[in-house]
Amino acid sequence: MSYRVGVDIGGTFTDLVVTREDGSTLLWKEETTPDRPERAVQTGLERVAELLEHDLGSFLSNVTLLVHGSTVATNMVVQRSGSTVGLVCTRGFRDILYFRDGFKWDRFNPRLPRPDDLVPRRRRVAVAERTSAHGSVLQPLDEGSVRRAAATLKQEGVDAVAVALLWAHANPAHEQGVRELLRQELPGVPVLLSSEVLPELGEWVRSSATVLSAFVYAGSRDYLEQLQQWLSTRGLRTGLLVMQVNGGCASVEQTLRVPVSTIHSGPAAAPAAALQVGKRAAARDMITIDMGGTSFDVCLIGDGEVPRSRTIEIQHQPIGIPGVEIHSIGAGGGSLAWIDTGGALRVGPQSAGARPGPAAYGQGGERPTVTDANVVLGYLSPDAFLGGRRQLRSDLAADAIRQHVAEPLGVELVAAAAGMIRVINQNMVDAIGVVSVERGIDPRPFLLVAGGGAGALHAGRLAAELGITRVLVPAEAGTLSAFGMTVSNVRHDYAAAHHATSLDPQREAVNALLGKLERRARVDLVQNGFSAVDVVVQRFVDARYVGQVHELTVPVPPGPLGREELDAIVGAFHRLHEERYGWSAQDRGVEYLHWRVTGTGLIRTPVEPLIDELAPTPADAAATGSRPAWFDELGGFVETATYAADRFAAGGEVHGPALVDGATMTIVVFPGQRLLADGRGSFLLETPTP
Amino acid sequence: METSAQIDPITFSVLLNRLNSIATEMTVALANTASSALLALTHDFSCCVYDARGRQVAMKDALPIHTNSMHLFIERIVSRYVGDVREGDVIACNDPYSGNTHIGDLATAAPVFHEGELLFWTAVRAHQLDVGAPVPTSGWAAAQDVWQEGLIIPPVKLYEGGKARRDVIELYLANVRWPAMLEGDLMAQLGATRIGAQKLQALAERYGAGTLREFCEEAIEYAARRASAEIRAMPDGVYESEAWYDFGSDGQPTTIRCTLTIHDDTISVDFSGSDPQLQAGVNASYAVMQAAGGIPVMMAIDSDIPHNEGCLRRVGVSAPAGTVCNASYPVATSLATVLPADVMQEAVTKALAQAVPERVPAGNAHWSNVPMISGVDPADGGFWGHQPLNGGGGGGAAQGTDGWPLISTNAAWGALHVGSVEHTEMLYPLRVEQWELEPESMGLGQWIGGPGVRFVIRPFHDVDVIYASDGLINPPCGLFGGSPGAGGGSYVVRGEAGRRQFFGPEAYARIRAGELWVGISSGGGGYGDPLQRSPERVREDVLDGLYSAETAHLFFGVVFAGAKLELDRVATEEARRRLAACREPLSLSLPTRPSASGWLERTMQPGDEQVDVPPGRGL
Repeated sequence: MSYRVGVDIGGTFTDLVVTREDGSTLLWKEETTPDRPERAVQTGLERVAELLEHDLGSFLSNVTLLVHGSTVATNMVVQRSGSTVGLVCTRGFRDILYFRDGFKWDRFNPRLPRPDDLVPRRRRVAVAERTSAHGSVLQPLDEGSVRRAAATLKQEGVDAVAVALLWAHANPAHEQGVRELLRQELPGVPVLLSSEVLPELGEWVRSSATVLSAFVYAGSRDYLEQLQQWLSTRGLRTGLLVMQVNGGCASVEQTLRVPVSTIHSGPAAAPAAALQVGKRAAARDMITIDMGGTSFDVCLIGDGEVPRSRTIEIQHQPIGIPGVEIHSIGAGGGSLAWIDTGGALRVGPQSAGARPGPAAYGQGGERPTVTDANVVLGYLSPDAFLGGRRQLRSDLAADAIRQHVAEPLGVELVAAAAGMIRVINQNMVDAIGVVSVERGIDPRPFLLVAGGGAGALHAGRLAAELGITRVLVPAEAGTLSAFGMTVSNVRHDYAAAHHATSLDPQREAVNALLGKLERRARVDLVQNGFSAVDVVVQRFVDARYVGQVHELTVPVPPGPLGREELDAIVGAFHRLHEERYGWSAQDRGVEYLHWRVTGTGLIRTPVEPLIDELAPTPADAAATGSRPAWFDELGGFVETATYAADRFAAGGEVHGPALVDGATMTIVVFPGQRLLADGRGSFLLETPTP
Repeated sequence: METSAQIDPITFSVLLNRLNSIATEMTVALANTASSALLALTHDFSCCVYDARGRQVAMKDALPIHTNSMHLFIERIVSRYVGDVREGDVIACNDPYSGNTHIGDLATAAPVFHEGELLFWTAVRAHQLDVGAPVPTSGWAAAQDVWQEGLIIPPVKLYEGGKARRDVIELYLANVRWPAMLEGDLMAQLGATRIGAQKLQALAERYGAGTLREFCEEAIEYAARRASAEIRAMPDGVYESEAWYDFGSDGQPTTIRCTLTIHDDTISVDFSGSDPQLQAGVNASYAVMQAAGGIPVMMAIDSDIPHNEGCLRRVGVSAPAGTVCNASYPVATSLATVLPADVMQEAVTKALAQAVPERVPAGNAHWSNVPMISGVDPADGGFWGHQPLNGGGGGGAAQGTDGWPLISTNAAWGALHVGSVEHTEMLYPLRVEQWELEPESMGLGQWIGGPGVRFVIRPFHDVDVIYASDGLINPPCGLFGGSPGAGGGSYVVRGEAGRRQFFGPEAYARIRAGELWVGISSGGGGYGDPLQRSPERVREDVLDGLYSAETAHLFFGVVFAGAKLELDRVATEEARRRLAACREPLSLSLPTRPSASGWLERTMQPGDEQVDVPPGRGL
């Protein structure tokens, strides 16, 4: 027997997923231990080993892949608990970190405080040097200025250094020179170079990525190396892999080269999970939603392609590197309803959190949440919530909604609860719109993959609102990201800046550069243990019309670039521009900025049976009775059939209205919708085309 | 909330979100497809939705100077095209005497029909890099009248029944520099205008015209209710103020006077008593006057209140025609959104601060240190132009918050993005030599203003710089004991000898290859008693080089000991006691007299020279 393990640390729970060779999974939730996150990981691993009737050693020795989604870096930034970082910059440009891009997001609030810079000005030191836009040296690096800078940093008690010089991506020599001198002057202090963290145009974002990397480097290193050590002394034979924001994973050593790559990496595993569970419905066009207690994450996957963004931020600080594009809003079961000063009903983004939580939890929460509305409307059962592990107080839920919503609005309790659901649903529909409609993508043919504890309660309605006909509620819904980690490919992204145009493509230079990046990709993947057949290398370039400002990333064909390949790049750019923005200019020149190489080590994933192909049978065996639930289209409360999620046979079929209670989620099947079970814990919810 | 028969509170909340998201979708479409850095990077544009009567119902809050006045242009085209508006039309206008702000802003609007009935207008206002003026800038201080400011476009149809009027578009493009780039920008703007219209049509199909009409009434009423409640909580009264404008005549600054009256739930702002209009492109158009009077009030109420008709109309704004605050045709206004709008807003701020001190920030830096550079690149013979925003000044401090840098102008309040140094050096034949905050440039107080910026560039070949600024001679005000910003200026370092040539608020200069353009903007004003700033923060400021230990001693009464600048608490307490005892009572606002910055006098040294361009006289 061999296992793959995904471990995802969340705010409340550390999720563990063990996938067996046959694709069957074991899911486990261990309470997160915020001060010592590795403890929950270790206890969780001991627990799943026990459940699989192993001792920890024999379990770990059978693990072929262990992927870890760590929030260590994210938490260090949020809590400002990282290293004391010094920044070395080009003389004359000491305030790049402070100036940012000049933008103030909430400009109608004159009292909005500035985000705190990770490096105060006294630890930003300038050195005399200058490189030109073409990478030539205009002013050689002045050694004395570096030594003086080092002395200042030493005096300031700096224990990590970021070096971000102008045009270092065009010529890294000066940054490398600074590192050599700092090694002598500040022995043992880690030094991160912008030309290695993010070799791309734009000094603000490059500095930000480098500073963030330096800030989280030591903490990430200590945590990951100790965990790796703990695992290998207890029997793990393979190297620990770390989830990356780009949706792939990498070794500890590779991760520490670009430490910022683990920020926001947990949700980035969800699309990999969707690609795997989507096979159960033969889907390659998917929208994944993950609705938990406080946040709602959306990702749109078109034709199996996971979308990437280069503008991901943490606390208004850009991470710079491309990552999986997840759109996140403050909407979850814990989102609070409130009436604003003009009398409009609002829900979220504030949340009741884990403590006190929704009023129905009876933990002292007095303000109404989305969960409370779901209780009042009968969607959540007071007795069957989380498989009966938690009792819900419907009286407290009703009191909270009555007092804070119904009475101020002058409407009935039920109308108020239904209103809360409509408002939160509209917020979520808008969030899905951001990744689809706003980009000109029609969401209707997509499969909606409902993850998170609260996703399946709302997914049926969201789908109907958007005209989506199929919703998949996977067995792994409650631990979607951790499951994603067991099916994520290993992925490394590389980039190099080299300016060229369609008129002057600089073939030789570009071919040499791409060749170099490709070799690095293959070497890194061999180190991860992949054989050549499981390695895929793809190339891309950031292109735009000459004189345009924003770029699009287009694929570059394999092999040396000849005339045909260059034409293909230009053609692909025109097509993508047309598709994205509705117009293209075939007669305009195209210019190229960054050349990118992606190396992917393919993980073999199990074959998934198709739910659609199962012969539908009545789900009588799963029936548990009924309870009243509110459906607008049926005129109010109706006695609604209830089912137990774990008692469905393959092909078990239910027609709405119906409620399916599971250990980690509840599915609402709305009138007119049909639910089909695969007998392994996953469900397909279908809405007839209007 | 009182509900009408037609629309329930839930549908209301849903539609409120949806209309805002439509304005956002328009914004995203424009930014992603524009060709100029001005629109694609800097985001100098705004997108709004109006009802059939031209009342603002939703907007993406981009530039306050845009969104607080765009209804005037819509009202104008509604009356101009009565009975002559069809589905698929797009109407454009840049005429400041037809309800527009200034000639640099091109406004476009599209009517939205449902079952033959006009329901909405979508509108976009976007700054154009060039307008076909005699010199390559869209804002020319030296312009003597509207005909010297560029191609005037009264409301004209660019699309008619869904079909582009190529003849009109070509007439426009034939009159501007960089027609390819500006065509790209125009296509992006028209695309955004039309995308908004399509989304609203889809909304009408789903909810029906009746519900949407009812929604507009409710949304306007809702915002009015919230804004009224906020204003009603302000103390009634008449508050007067004065502010001074760097532009003037005979070496004297222009005076702006403001009377702000709070009565129950409305505010009126009147600029009577302000100086007569100037013979230069630095007067306010009617739309700019309306916006400049209203924006400071918007800043002082809950930022969550939608800035639609109901909210905006709680403030009435007036100014006598023929003054610098409300120019009469055909006087020039091409810089109006910043000059004089920045100083007009400062006057309103000073008046409002008397009523609601805790809600009003000290003065933001005015438009300055933003040179328009152009020249012919000898490498390819191409004519290029660029206006880097990196040098903009700092924001005013507010109660509880230090000011932000790069707030740049009251037109934007921080909405404009600045491009990176590397981007600029890649696109244009120049080198940036320095881009850093300017020490001692910010107003001091319990909370300190955002610093000004020193921005130094060296062109590779001869270029022309066209420049206009404000708030450097008359610096942005400090409030309640806070000091004003330090002011600033600009100069060219000439030839090999390095002779420094200083400019006033207006410049048109040729800079030779290798010479330096140096610009220094002002920091924002400080807020509150400097003796109340925590000594620890003062120490950090000094360690960070924001100001000197001497300033810390003189202004903040903070004393350090030793080379490591450890706080000397005993001496600090003593110094603070002494300062408190001998100083004059704290001023409501500083400065109290015109031309107070003294920056030029402090900065110029023997051998430096001053180029005296008579204000408003151009070349």
